[in-house]
Amino acid sequence: MVDVGALALAIAWVLALYAVGVSFAGGYLRRRDLIASAEHAALAVWALVVIATAGLLHGLASHDFNLEYVAHYSSSTLPLSYTIAALWGGQAGSLLFWTLLLTSMTAVVLLQNRERNRELMPYVITVLMAIAVFFLSMVNFITPPFTRLAFTPAEGRDLNPLLQNYWMTIHPPALYLGFVACAIPFAFAVAALITGRLDTTWIRTTRRWTLGAWFFLSLGNLFGAMWAYLVLGWGGYWAWDPVENAAFMPWLTCSAFLHSVMIQEKKNMLKVWNMVLVMLTFILTIFGTFLTRSGVISSVHSFTQSGLGPFFMGFLALTVVVSVGLLLWRLPLLKSENELDSMLSREAAFLLNNLVLVGMTFAVFWGTVFPVISEAVRGVKITVGPPFFNKVNTPLGLVLLLLMGVGPIIAWRRATARNLQHNFLLPGLLGLVGGVALFAVGFRHFYALVSFSLCIFVVATIAMEFYRGLRARQAMMDESAVTALVRLTAKNRRRYGGYVVHIGVVMIYLAITGTSAFREEKQITLKPGDSFAIGRYTLRYDGVESSDTPHIGSLKARMAVLQNGKQIDTLLPEKRFYKKPEQPTTEVAIRSTLQTDLYVVLGSYDQASNMATIQAYINPLVGFLGWGGLVLALGTLVTIWPSAAPRRAPAYVPGGAGQRAAAE
Amino acid sequence: MRIATARALVVLVVSGVLLAAAASQAEPPSAQDIEESLTCQCGCGLTVHSCNHLQCESAIPLRAEVREQMALGKDKPTILKYFADKYGEKILSSPTAKGFNLLAWTMPFVLLGLGGLFIGLFVVRWTRHAAAPRRPTDAGPRPTSPYDKIFEQELKSFDE
Repeated sequence: MVDVGALALAIAWVLALYAVGVSFAGGYLRRRDLIASAEHAALAVWALVVIATAGLLHGLASHDFNLEYVAHYSSSTLPLSYTIAALWGGQAGSLLFWTLLLTSMTAVVLLQNRERNRELMPYVITVLMAIAVFFLSMVNFITPPFTRLAFTPAEGRDLNPLLQNYWMTIHPPALYLGFVACAIPFAFAVAALITGRLDTTWIRTTRRWTLGAWFFLSLGNLFGAMWAYLVLGWGGYWAWDPVENAAFMPWLTCSAFLHSVMIQEKKNMLKVWNMVLVMLTFILTIFGTFLTRSGVISSVHSFTQSGLGPFFMGFLALTVVVSVGLLLWRLPLLKSENELDSMLSREAAFLLNNLVLVGMTFAVFWGTVFPVISEAVRGVKITVGPPFFNKVNTPLGLVLLLLMGVGPIIAWRRATARNLQHNFLLPGLLGLVGGVALFAVGFRHFYALVSFSLCIFVVATIAMEFYRGLRARQAMMDESAVTALVRLTAKNRRRYGGYVVHIGVVMIYLAITGTSAFREEKQITLKPGDSFAIGRYTLRYDGVESSDTPHIGSLKARMAVLQNGKQIDTLLPEKRFYKKPEQPTTEVAIRSTLQTDLYVVLGSYDQASNMATIQAYINPLVGFLGWGGLVLALGTLVTIWPSAAPRRAPAYVPGGAGQRAAAE
Repeated sequence: MRIATARALVVLVVSGVLLAAAASQAEPPSAQDIEESLTCQCGCGLTVHSCNHLQCESAIPLRAEVREQMALGKDKPTILKYFADKYGEKILSSPTAKGFNLLAWTMPFVLLGLGGLFIGLFVVRWTRHAAAPRRPTDAGPRPTSPYDKIFEQELKSFDE
């Protein structure tokens, strides 16, 4: 099976190379036979990569330690779920997994476009297969996953213990799905540039792919945050690590594109800008992979580092050159019908939204690469850590939050005074009153007050939109509130799904604000029976309990949680000692409510004295991070869900069923 | 009506700014504040305050050193300068705001400003090129189907 896998990868590389050349020639010469041949080759590449992946999974599941990858990233005692996750736990496997996702998406694109976009498709295949050639080159020649060892070790080295966590089984796949899906709009954009078909066809075709990419990038980032929160044990979930930044940047530009594309669809404006955003998003996904793999910037993700940096740098440079070249070549054809009636309009709000999102992208990029620039220019090593990113991004994030309330509601073309009053006076007042109320009860954190006020403002604008739509529909259709709400959303998925996404984002802002501004923490060494207070809780240390399995040794501190003198819970923060490789890890214990998380870490334990050092944190509102992510995902699914086949408009008599009934 | 709306919006904005100003009271630096300004050198990538390796050979002595320096009555800039002189600039968790490092702080905002200016110029150009004046709309996107048109009409009449 393993040898078949290696052979499959070699054939896939040849066929992908063939598909690149033949599809381009087919498109250029308008030869249907060549295009069909290239499409078949692309499907064959997908099938071969599936076979190779199955081969590696078989090697992992059957503990074939003669295979270098299996010996390095798994063991016979590793649970099955993590054995499967080992597929993306190491360099070669993760590149193979990436190739699998890319070729699978290519196959879906081919099936979707058998009858559509025939002029674009040859070049779409060219681009996607060119990317596949790059990744297949990596897994064939640079880091092959099927390398055999000269001997067979009795046991594997096992998966990095930090990766043996539930969130790590879903964080990388989600992020990779997001990264790889960004290649589809990019491929269509390039195809549109090559063919000169620069209307909105490529945008409409790739709308769901872009939303899907954004969906998975969002989830990938959030799952990564959850993993960091549960595994790293420092009480936080986002440390502006270079690789976190690398995953965040394409999310920002993809968000910008999802907004600016609406202006192109509505008003045929910003054609060049949208092209730039699609290209930038894809380039940033490759840049992110380069950062993770190259080790050029130190990161907590160092377990994936290797000597692949120069290859990714070369691919990145080629992608930038081709993208910029095509864009400059087609610039005359990208003239937009640019018209703007007023700065007080939805178009202007979306432009500002794009400015802030791209500004944040640059700030994150700049902070990430500045240590390298500083060392190159001055020869001095410096650090650009969380305080820099927080200081620069917090005001920008708050402006973005404000625009999230303004953008979707303000009128297209020109907002009148009546429109502004009608849409913003009440939400503005509610936000202000909320801010004053928080100030009155003792909140003094500047950014937190602004953030909470803006959250109230945004939620109020969205609630008003739902309320108005609901009432209008009820007046028209004589429906119950629930039915009207469901149908209103179903009928306008993009609009109301977008509002739901915004509610999810507001919830995430609440979590970020709560944990940034109001976190409490204590570190204390205790003997059994000792207790200490943190937040509204008292924690009492009742000793330790230990356990041992062939895979893990474990030591848990028994911490009684008391509130108002009554025990309400027991938390068991744990130190694990993985045996292969020998490495201690921290398993935090959390008592989670929507209001706060009580987050407890066992720092150390002295067997002689039976004393334990405990770190405890109160993380206000952090629960909104997960729930916000769920709402965001739900909203995205609403917008992405395919519409039913178009039906005739319902017969309707102005005045509504309710009024007719009353008249009768 | 317009003047009243404008006044209401101005009051909203001014109140927000005053509220924000009232909230922004500077607090004296704490040990946590200084520890957050220093990077742990153990490779965790976190600040000296956040590093949770209890036997950490970097964070623990650095925390003790912060307290020693504070006990000498030094203010935050002096303490940070002491650490930078002793361990090199990489110990600071964010670049200093001087010399070449100023680029780190200013570039994002300079580019944002330029972007804003660029957008402003385009908006002025596009506004001038806009077609003859049309009736302003209070509604959202233009209705596309008969159903949508009726829906939008109902929405308007309901609002009124």
